[in-house]
Amino acid sequence: MKTDLPDIAFSIREMIISSLVPNESHHIGCSLSIVEILAHLYFREMKVNPKTPSDADRDIFILSKGHAALALYATLCKRGFFGRDLLSTYDTDGGQMPEHANTSVPGVELSTGSLGHGLSVGVGFSVSFTNDKRDNKVFVLMSDGEFNEGSNWEAIMFAGHHKLSNLIVIVDVNNFQGFGSTEEVIDLNPLDTKLKNFNWETHNIDGNNFSEIKSVFLKIKNSKNLMPKIIFAKTIKGKGISFFENKLESHYKSLSLEVKKELLENYEK
Amino acid sequence: MRNDIILGIHERMKEDKNVYFLTGDLGYGVLDDMKNEFPDRFINVGIAEQNMMGIATGLALTGKKVFVYSIIPFATMRCFEQIRNDVCYHDVDVTILGAGSGLSYGILSSTHFALEDIAILRSLPNMTIFSPSDRYEAVEGLKYFQNFKHPLYFRIGKKDEPEVYDENTKFNLREGMKLRDGKDGVILSTGAITSEVVKAADILKEKYKICLSLYNISIIKPIKENHIFDKCLGKKLIFTVEEHGVVGGLGSVVVEALSEVKSTDRIIRLGTKDFFIKTVGTQNFLRKKLGLDCNGIVKKIRKYY
Repeated sequence: MKTDLPDIAFSIREMIISSLVPNESHHIGCSLSIVEILAHLYFREMKVNPKTPSDADRDIFILSKGHAALALYATLCKRGFFGRDLLSTYDTDGGQMPEHANTSVPGVELSTGSLGHGLSVGVGFSVSFTNDKRDNKVFVLMSDGEFNEGSNWEAIMFAGHHKLSNLIVIVDVNNFQGFGSTEEVIDLNPLDTKLKNFNWETHNIDGNNFSEIKSVFLKIKNSKNLMPKIIFAKTIKGKGISFFENKLESHYKSLSLEVKKELLENYEK
Repeated sequence: MRNDIILGIHERMKEDKNVYFLTGDLGYGVLDDMKNEFPDRFINVGIAEQNMMGIATGLALTGKKVFVYSIIPFATMRCFEQIRNDVCYHDVDVTILGAGSGLSYGILSSTHFALEDIAILRSLPNMTIFSPSDRYEAVEGLKYFQNFKHPLYFRIGKKDEPEVYDENTKFNLREGMKLRDGKDGVILSTGAITSEVVKAADILKEKYKICLSLYNISIIKPIKENHIFDKCLGKKLIFTVEEHGVVGGLGSVVVEALSEVKSTDRIIRLGTKDFFIKTVGTQNFLRKKLGLDCNGIVKKIRKYY
């Protein structure tokens, strides 16, 4: 089994496209943009063991942008939490893999789907681990548009004030949200400055570039700051499907069976 | 009621290092001791109830038992989606302590009243609702639910409520407590207003020869329909009294239970009606004005005899 990250990402994208239900599955672009981040987290960064998914010492990953569940499911499958049989039930009647992340799937820590919830729950994990002097880390993946939700800012204020240094947030900055670009709906630039002002340690990277991803997590690991960390990962929405790349419509459009088959041909090696 | 519960939880936190207490910036004069004794496990999250409920969920998912405290509308309405999607959906060990049931906050007025909380929380799967009528029942509830590991809502008054029970009472929280016996009908009540209902039942009997059974129901959800049928079926006139709207509270519980069985019993719901209360006054004054004090209850019930 190939274990270098670009191969893993390639494989995860194949699994994503392969699992899509023609004319039914949405949020495809949202899943494709975060593949590199998930690959790094689950294959290099996080302490997880698919054989012991409830290990008390494990790191916690929360997909706050729950609509990108397919990317998480594919990554968990690739990592060995379950087989392709289960993955093939994604979005199907009677299956156990809904389009928003659900704990019915082995390896998923929190059922999400409404934006603005994941960070607060992550803070709860973080407080528990901090008080118990445990080494577990908490990773929360958020969308950029998600920052419109006020509840996140409650969590941001709290985490900064309480110096929760075992909490690491990754933001999928793909520049699109529900009905427009993030800049035209609510322009939060510069977002990193705002987080700095709330006492977070901030980083900016190309979120589809493995060497930048590796580098930033190393920096964070070596950071002596008693602060929560946030990585603004600039990504391409829809990365991997050329006609979806950087398009708002990749949030919504489903694929026909023919297009799916065509795309999968690119993954036959 | 509130202070006794806090003391009970404080004791629990001494014995059990897994217990956390979160407050949304409330507790001045009430939670100071807890704050000083448990600096790690007592957390003032600030005026941020959505975050408070999310944090509670995260803590509970690591195996902690979490109490969350605020004034009822803030503890239940401000963060309702978090209660729904995080606490209840994941079925975690979070107990919501809501202070100020009904019109407890009197002169503070509408934003601090709790007249819809039972209605909205009843609609959530995995939620248990406990509505004690006095400090003894409240403390009994703490004992009853001490090993309960699912979402739970404690609907608490404030302090110095008139007592319905005493320290020797043998409680039956599951089925409800029978407080009076009578053949002319039945009253079901919940919460702190029960003390008024007891007075009303006695006035109805002594002055007007209307003898009604009276039951105090403190576990409003889940409720076994049998317990409702046993108390109500065939009684002809059933009255429910609560310091809560007539929509969605105890009254609705009874109506729902009896609606599918053959019965010619009438159910009359006493509670607050479909308008915001603009009258200004203390809880007792408001109860009088709204017909929810003992005399108002007597007057309303007499109309049916």
